[in-house]
Amino acid sequence: MLKITDLSARVAGKDILKGVNLEVRAGEVHAIMGPNGSGKSTLAQVLAGREDYEVTGGSVTFDGRDLLALPAEERARAGLFLGFQYPVEIPGVNNVYLLKAALNAKRKAAGEPEVDAYDFLNLIRQKMKFMQMSESFLTRGVNEGFSGGEKKRNEVLQMLVLEPRLAILDETDSGLDIDALKVVSAGVNSLRDPKRAVVLVTHYQRLLDYIVPDQVHVLSGGRIMKSGDRSLAQELERRGYDWVSQSQVA
Amino acid sequence: MSRALQSTAVPQSAALRSFAAQWQARSADSLSPVREQAMQRFLKLGLPSLRDETWRYTDLRSLAAQSFVDAPRTTRGQIEPYAPLALLGETDRAASLLMVNGYPTLPVAEGLVNGIEIKSLREVSRLDPNTLLRFLEPLSDADQQRWALLNTALFVDGLYLKITARVPMPLIILHVATADGANNIAYPRVIIEAAPGSSATIIEHHVAQGEHAPLNNSNTHIALGQDAQLEHYRVYATGAAATHLDSLNIRQDQGSQCKQFTIVLGGGLVRTALEAHLEKPGASLDSYSLLVGHEDRHVDCVNIVTHGAPDTRSNQTARAIASDASRVIFNSKVIVNAGAVHAQSQQSCRGLLLSPTAEIDTRPQLEIHADEVKCAHGATTGRLDPDMLFYMLSRGLDRDTAQSLLVYAFLADVLTGMSVASARAAIENALISQLPDSQTLRKFR
Repeated sequence: MLKITDLSARVAGKDILKGVNLEVRAGEVHAIMGPNGSGKSTLAQVLAGREDYEVTGGSVTFDGRDLLALPAEERARAGLFLGFQYPVEIPGVNNVYLLKAALNAKRKAAGEPEVDAYDFLNLIRQKMKFMQMSESFLTRGVNEGFSGGEKKRNEVLQMLVLEPRLAILDETDSGLDIDALKVVSAGVNSLRDPKRAVVLVTHYQRLLDYIVPDQVHVLSGGRIMKSGDRSLAQELERRGYDWVSQSQVA
Repeated sequence: MSRALQSTAVPQSAALRSFAAQWQARSADSLSPVREQAMQRFLKLGLPSLRDETWRYTDLRSLAAQSFVDAPRTTRGQIEPYAPLALLGETDRAASLLMVNGYPTLPVAEGLVNGIEIKSLREVSRLDPNTLLRFLEPLSDADQQRWALLNTALFVDGLYLKITARVPMPLIILHVATADGANNIAYPRVIIEAAPGSSATIIEHHVAQGEHAPLNNSNTHIALGQDAQLEHYRVYATGAAATHLDSLNIRQDQGSQCKQFTIVLGGGLVRTALEAHLEKPGASLDSYSLLVGHEDRHVDCVNIVTHGAPDTRSNQTARAIASDASRVIFNSKVIVNAGAVHAQSQQSCRGLLLSPTAEIDTRPQLEIHADEVKCAHGATTGRLDPDMLFYMLSRGLDRDTAQSLLVYAFLADVLTGMSVASARAAIENALISQLPDSQTLRKFR
């Protein structure tokens, strides 16, 4: 589904990604772990199409299409979703409006009719209940005045409504207490199916107790240094990220 | 009485000579002495120039070479319905009055609005000139009042509204500007007096009709009695060829509350001046300005608010948007006079630049002569936030839709202050039609 080949990228004149290779197949959940500054978030943003992140080499295909040739909005409509590490607040733009516009943009691209207003509200309410979000969400601006945890729940809510083929979740677990982590994880798990894939970008192994990955990768210095199964995450937790960089040197 | 002007004022430009000629052609009325003074002063001071404090960004030199004649009193043919901008919502009940180039189409039906006396200025000047003189005097030489002087000298008719009760229904004054040809000038004048304890909502809506637009030198005076409440709108929705120079003067008595909206959606050159005097304790003013520049239009908004008594409060919220090669200026000044202790004022001005060739100039100023006051001001101008934009694009929204939503959100602080739902809806509609992807945006409301 997603094939990243030798991807390099630069942010504000600095090379961050230095040849990333990764393949994610439908039905799989991958975790990308790594120390701070290793390029995890850059990878997520580049995949989502952030314009000021300059791709300097390599290629990415998504369902066989050249992902890098598409603007961000078309990537989203093609079924890619980025859950932001720091979701931005947009006062004055209502949460529900944004979500409805997003869903309709996707439906339009797929040649489907716009969602019925009544059905849409029902859908949102149902997903909000699942995510244990308060009714006030409906009337508020996008992430406006939300706590860190509420913002992350909102990211997952958007994901559940948009039902992406590929979800990239950038540190969706950071800043969550254990109850919120369970809710967010349940949200992600509910989306797991043989046709979809999830890439979890995370700093901690904790999330992977709730969302069990098929593969774990360690990103360090702009490259994937190590890949393995779930036990790699547990080993990292025991031995720390230094272990990966040291084992490379050795 | 003699219409000749004293030799002290020798008009220097074609425009001034034409104003003097208009003056000479006016018939005398009970206001002639004050009008003559106003005319003399205007001719002496001349057109405002870039050297004048409140005219630093607006160059009127092109007007000087023109010879102006009075705009007609009626439109040629029917008044167009102005459906897209009509501030009469289907659901809100509202009464409306029509003025063509400042001439009211009176008499109005008796009891058009319960609680508002409606008269023509001609009638008032004949029967009760002292009432009018209270609003025309004192004359001011201040540069923000320059065009008001000319209006005082040359307005022929206008509207006098006296609010005597709590009036729930909004009253709309539709100002239609129209011209016979080039170089027409109009002098609309409106006087609104709110009796103590009264309340009302008055919307002045300026539109233009026909091929030519006159130079519109309009003027509104508002006086709020003790504990009176007024929500006043002035909305400009004229064409790219129109030049509009508007002055609004507000005087507020004890405990009165005024909410004022200045909405500039159209016009080639629109200059709006607001001068407010909080004269007695407890008076409060909330002023909202929504200034939209596009194409190569020029919008210049000047607010001067004077706190003249203790415990007065003013709040100014301005949102300016400039796209294409337009220029938007917001100049605001708060003056706290000596003795106006515990005055509170806030000025918040935000500008949004949508093109590299657009320009926004903001100048919030404070002049404080009293102790124990609480005054704050802030001004920022920037472009659309790239993080917000990316967030919306990453959710699949079109770039145009995302940008329009952000622009719309930027204006929300002004729009949410409006308490007349139909006016807000109409203004939102008009705004939205100027934004890209208006079709999608309409669905969001």
